[in-house]
Amino acid sequence: MGYGNYKDPFGGSPLGKASYVVQAGEKLELSFVVLPGESRDIEVSVDLVGEGAEAVLRGLYLCSGDEQVTFRILMHHRASHCCSRQLFNGLAGGRSRVSFDGRIIVAPDAQKTEAYQENHNIVLSDEAHVDTRPQLEIYADDVKCSHGATIGRLDEDAQFYMRSRGIPEAEAKVLQMLSFLSPVTPEEKRKQVERAVLLLV
Amino acid sequence: MDTLLEIRNLHARIGEKEILKGIDLTVGRGEIHAVMGPNGAGKSTLNAVLTGRPDYEVTEGTVLYDGKDLLAMSPEERSCAGLFLSFQYPVEIPGVTITAFMKAAIQARRKAQGLEEMKTADFLKLLKQKMAFVQMKPEFSKREVNVGFSGGEKKRNEIFQMAMLDPVLSILDETDSGLDVDALKIVADGVKALHTPEKSAIIITHYQKLLEYVAPDVVHVLKDGRIVRTGGRELIDAIEKDGFDQF
Repeated sequence: MGYGNYKDPFGGSPLGKASYVVQAGEKLELSFVVLPGESRDIEVSVDLVGEGAEAVLRGLYLCSGDEQVTFRILMHHRASHCCSRQLFNGLAGGRSRVSFDGRIIVAPDAQKTEAYQENHNIVLSDEAHVDTRPQLEIYADDVKCSHGATIGRLDEDAQFYMRSRGIPEAEAKVLQMLSFLSPVTPEEKRKQVERAVLLLV
Repeated sequence: MDTLLEIRNLHARIGEKEILKGIDLTVGRGEIHAVMGPNGAGKSTLNAVLTGRPDYEVTEGTVLYDGKDLLAMSPEERSCAGLFLSFQYPVEIPGVTITAFMKAAIQARRKAQGLEEMKTADFLKLLKQKMAFVQMKPEFSKREVNVGFSGGEKKRNEIFQMAMLDPVLSILDETDSGLDVDALKIVADGVKALHTPEKSAIIITHYQKLLEYVAPDVVHVLKDGRIVRTGGRELIDAIEKDGFDQF
């Protein structure tokens, strides 16, 4: 459960824009945790320019009111044998607006690229709004790339299953939310995320 | 005889369609009952109403469980009061391990009973013991609930949960799964092994196969939303021979 190496380059500030150039053999790790009450506009562009460069980006967001959370991610694979992984999971409640714009570009020379991007959303209220636009542009032919985006609600069948085993409805929802967020929860933020989820139910 | 469950004139519908049209059924403590019926008779609806599925509406009738109004209880209250439903199609809960799931269930139950939380060491001991009892491999405790499980593994997991929660009344919904003999055998063996004179079970099924492994005390035939016949095991043979049209 949870991962180490939590590193938000913008220190949680509402506006953040940064570009990174990752050289051969280097690894870039970025992570974002957006808790209820926080609005963020994050723009990150990553250039993987040296052979074997790596990038791992993780994001978690929990919105319960009027927050606006925007991610704009550009992952540019310019050299061969590079690997990038992106996972952004979030819950949108209240009247929050979430927008995820993720673009992966694989240059013609970037053979043996591995690039993955996922953005999963659970909408908790009728007024919340989520937009997700994953884009993949591949100009090389020997690559492994995938992207996936989902927007859904908490699974009611799973909830009923848990309730039928004696778990109260609110606790069932908490379990569902925490498990959904678990892959993007950094260890040092775990307590805060758990507290925030309890307040969402 | 000590009555555990008493269903009186139960009517239920989903949307505008009335499916249960006056069910009467009494289960005594220690008894195993079978409810058999053709497709569309209302078997799944009966099960759904007893376990408190939200999409079904009870329009008439009463259900007393251990003297309490079952229909007024939430699904979680029913479970904590000793009711257990074995799902025909167990649901996947991605990200939640069997250990976390059972821990939440056991602690919720203890809380409802006014007991203090079970200590982690005691819980793990119980988990290990019950897994061994249903012959489930220990590594399953770390798996996500039903995710990637085979049909047989899902059934075994249901019986494992039944063993953990130690219910007073088990309802086994095996309406469609009659063709998977191995899975049925797991269910039947579990029911037999867990049965005691204080406990009751209702087996809802279309096929007689399951009832070859676990012999019911009472057999009910459900047809068009009503119990049209109640008897002993001879009914199973009659159904096997001449089907449901005779009723």
